[in-house]
Amino acid sequence: MSASLATKTASANNPQASVAPVMEVRGLSVVVSTAAGERSILSDIDLTVAPRSVLGIIGESGSGKTVLSRAMVNWLKPPLAITRGSVRYDGRDLLTLPAATMAGLRGREIAYIGANPTSALDPTVPVGHQILEKLRAVAPELSPQAARQRVIDTLDAVRIPSPKQRFDEYPFQFSGGMMQRAMIVDALVSNPKLLIADNITQPLDVTVAAQILRLLRDLQKDFDTSIVFVSSSLGIVSEIADDMIVLDRGHIVERQSVTGLLATPEHVYTKELIAKVPKIWATAEAPPEPSSDTVVLDVRDVDKTYRVRDRKAIFAERQVRAVRGVSFTVRRGENFGIIGESGCGKSTLSRLLSCLEQPDAGEIQFEGRDIATLKGRDLLGLRRRFQLLLQDPYNAIAAHASIGRTIAEPLLIHGLGNRREIEQKVKDVMAEVGLAPTLYNQLPIGLSAGQRQRVNIARALVLEPELLILDETLSSLDQVEQAKLLDLFETLQVKRGITYVYISHDLAMVRRVCARIAVMYLGRIVELADNDTMYWRSAHPYTRALLSAVPTVEAKPYRTGTYLLEGEPPDPIDIPPGCSFRTRCPFAFDRCATDDPSQTIYADGNASACHLPRNSLPAPELAH
Amino acid sequence: MAFAIEFFLRRISQGVVIVILVAFVIFTLLRIVPGDPIRIILGPMASATALEEKATELGLRDPIYVQFGRFMGQVTTGDFGRSFIRGAQGGSAGGSQDAVGYNPESRASVSALIANALPYSLQLAALGIAFAFLVAIPIGLGAGLRAGKWPDRLGLYVSSLFVSLPNIWVGVVLIFLLSAKTGWLPAIGYQGFAYTIIPAMVLAIELSPVMIRAISVSVAANLGEVYFDVGLVRGLSRRTMVAKHVLRNAAVPLLNLFGAQMIGMLLGGLFVVEYIFSYPGIGMLTINAVFQRDFPIIQAVAILASAALVAINMLVDFASTTIDRRLKF
Repeated sequence: MSASLATKTASANNPQASVAPVMEVRGLSVVVSTAAGERSILSDIDLTVAPRSVLGIIGESGSGKTVLSRAMVNWLKPPLAITRGSVRYDGRDLLTLPAATMAGLRGREIAYIGANPTSALDPTVPVGHQILEKLRAVAPELSPQAARQRVIDTLDAVRIPSPKQRFDEYPFQFSGGMMQRAMIVDALVSNPKLLIADNITQPLDVTVAAQILRLLRDLQKDFDTSIVFVSSSLGIVSEIADDMIVLDRGHIVERQSVTGLLATPEHVYTKELIAKVPKIWATAEAPPEPSSDTVVLDVRDVDKTYRVRDRKAIFAERQVRAVRGVSFTVRRGENFGIIGESGCGKSTLSRLLSCLEQPDAGEIQFEGRDIATLKGRDLLGLRRRFQLLLQDPYNAIAAHASIGRTIAEPLLIHGLGNRREIEQKVKDVMAEVGLAPTLYNQLPIGLSAGQRQRVNIARALVLEPELLILDETLSSLDQVEQAKLLDLFETLQVKRGITYVYISHDLAMVRRVCARIAVMYLGRIVELADNDTMYWRSAHPYTRALLSAVPTVEAKPYRTGTYLLEGEPPDPIDIPPGCSFRTRCPFAFDRCATDDPSQTIYADGNASACHLPRNSLPAPELAH
Repeated sequence: MAFAIEFFLRRISQGVVIVILVAFVIFTLLRIVPGDPIRIILGPMASATALEEKATELGLRDPIYVQFGRFMGQVTTGDFGRSFIRGAQGGSAGGSQDAVGYNPESRASVSALIANALPYSLQLAALGIAFAFLVAIPIGLGAGLRAGKWPDRLGLYVSSLFVSLPNIWVGVVLIFLLSAKTGWLPAIGYQGFAYTIIPAMVLAIELSPVMIRAISVSVAANLGEVYFDVGLVRGLSRRTMVAKHVLRNAAVPLLNLFGAQMIGMLLGGLFVVEYIFSYPGIGMLTINAVFQRDFPIIQAVAILASAALVAINMLVDFASTTIDRRLKF
């Protein structure tokens, strides 16, 4: 096996190979100039992109992969500067080309797609018109009608539904996944020879990312394009790439074929990288047990609908049904997880749970009292006992207040203690969450995301809450920092008996920490089960689709091909009749179109909302 | 289309309510300030009984809401009443007659006075805005497109200079330089289009600093947006990105500034400038009316000004939501 791998690697990365490479990078070095002098970002990068292949570049944040992908289109701006090396494309060195010639290649022969699809286009001009504008700019020989037709055909090729109509819609009417498809259209519409995809699946949900990967694979064959696929997720790169390059702090530490890299990694760093990919199934750790203590949070049939104005009709409103009939209970000292993709209603639910908004119908009881009816002093008193922690650690902290003052704020609001007591409490809690006492009088400038999130946690903990709602709290942190904070949450739980509600799209994290898990789709809980049942024997096709799409590097009980979802979740304005998941469900049958399945509660206490009996779904391909 | 109909139905009905409220406040204030209008109409020589008689006859002793209702009824037919002071033939007549001799028909109709003065003010305002655009657009664009370079500093210096010049002083200096000293342009009164030029320059100097800053900030902010950078990597030229996308996006905050701030500044500027140059527009009409306590003119101008502001803001908002479909109204 190793012999065949070696030949494959050689053909892809050896300049003397018979097929002429699409792009060759030799000895590329990039520095960044700062006030403190020059710092090296990339040093001595050699790589070769073979025709009709996908080259994966993997590296953690800060490894220089975005700089590398931009250098490959000669698109670096000060303070970044290329100090030496060459990027040869089609017999020419891109780095020495005149700016005008380079601009002629960029977007026409070498296309680049970035990680931020939603802000990549002018928000005030329809998407199709902007793609047309680009096509006309790089291919002026096409007639306006032919160019328009080509854009619409390419929109169709990336399976954007009703492309003619979508052509005239604005970027804000596109979801992140649709927008990334549109950017792929924008890149491929001029038939480029090379496509550089820089972390393009990063902002997308797992099921959408899986679709995009498959799509890119198909298109690469149809359009005969070579792809450089850059990502920080090993699970994702390994799905698409032929050969891989591992980048660590600006150096290439390993190059191998994908199968070779996963099977026999050579460099220590690659081994670390593989070990760091969170394991969902191949883990020895037992998941947390459900608690049998008293019920802390009891949510019953909660509904929330928002109204938005309809631009197409006079004095009409449309109803966005964000949360529909959600019920669950959380027991003291338990970790409860709520998972689902963007737009499923998780965030609305967290706003309802933390009493920032009132539900339209239903009740939310905290220790037996309906929080919706509380007002004024009672509500303030209750607020002390449950706290909400959000995702963005930057905007949640006032930039002009010292860290000590920020953490003391809730105590001052609730009038708890005199100045010395408050200072003592703040210092205690800072020590508890691992913030150095010297930070007490400092401003938050210069704190890392992880430290900032600790400040947020300290600010919540200082009130000694009983329930913490963590709405994507750890999503913006890297793996290492995330693991440290999870340990902190665990310690606090043991010490203070806190109950956590984790709201997240991170299935690996939820697998590690939550005892019971609810899966949301279009504002509704489609499955509610304990951890092991959820991950090994889930009863709902949507849960299985989610799990099959998780980018991991281990064997999965659910095969991606069996559960791959088509399309996107429907708009919560136009929820289809019958089962709301049926439009994407691979197992939908007649009844699903008319009957909305109610939750079936099984003997083991788990529940799911599906017409199919639990045992009629395909058997998991891995046994527990 | 449906959107446009709903937009205008909604905004016009809101606007009518706003204008009626403004009209009521102005109407009431002018009637509770010291000074009896009948005394202004008839002058200091009229006897007390004659005053009362005439006041009752003219309806000035009715409760304010009755007077207001009557007034608004007239306004809907385009009749803003008659001046207390000005004669139908021109000139002031206040205080020169007794009660018997006063005939409301002999006083000038407010609508006619305004209709006479309005074209002059519109001409001055339009030319002032045009001059301001002529200065502010090139300087502002240059400053926005070359942030941190010399055009940016030029924009800053020009706008700092202009903003610190009081318009009264600028008016006097320009009259001295361009009219008295050189004789290039006429300055006082109005006998032809040339009389509008110097006052319009004064207006432009007042308006342009805000415009320069707004344009440069808005353009520079859009150059920093992700879509601009991505556009260049997508293969569009910088020129295309600026002409087709940056300017379009930068227009939205500028339109709002124009509706919210510039029109107010322009109205205020008109009053001062018309007074300095004895320019026969609405500003001049209003200032004279204030000196003479000619309430019907003051209230009519105030109501029309609020209606104009409401209408302009409505149009500006419509233009903004047409450019940027994300905006709610």
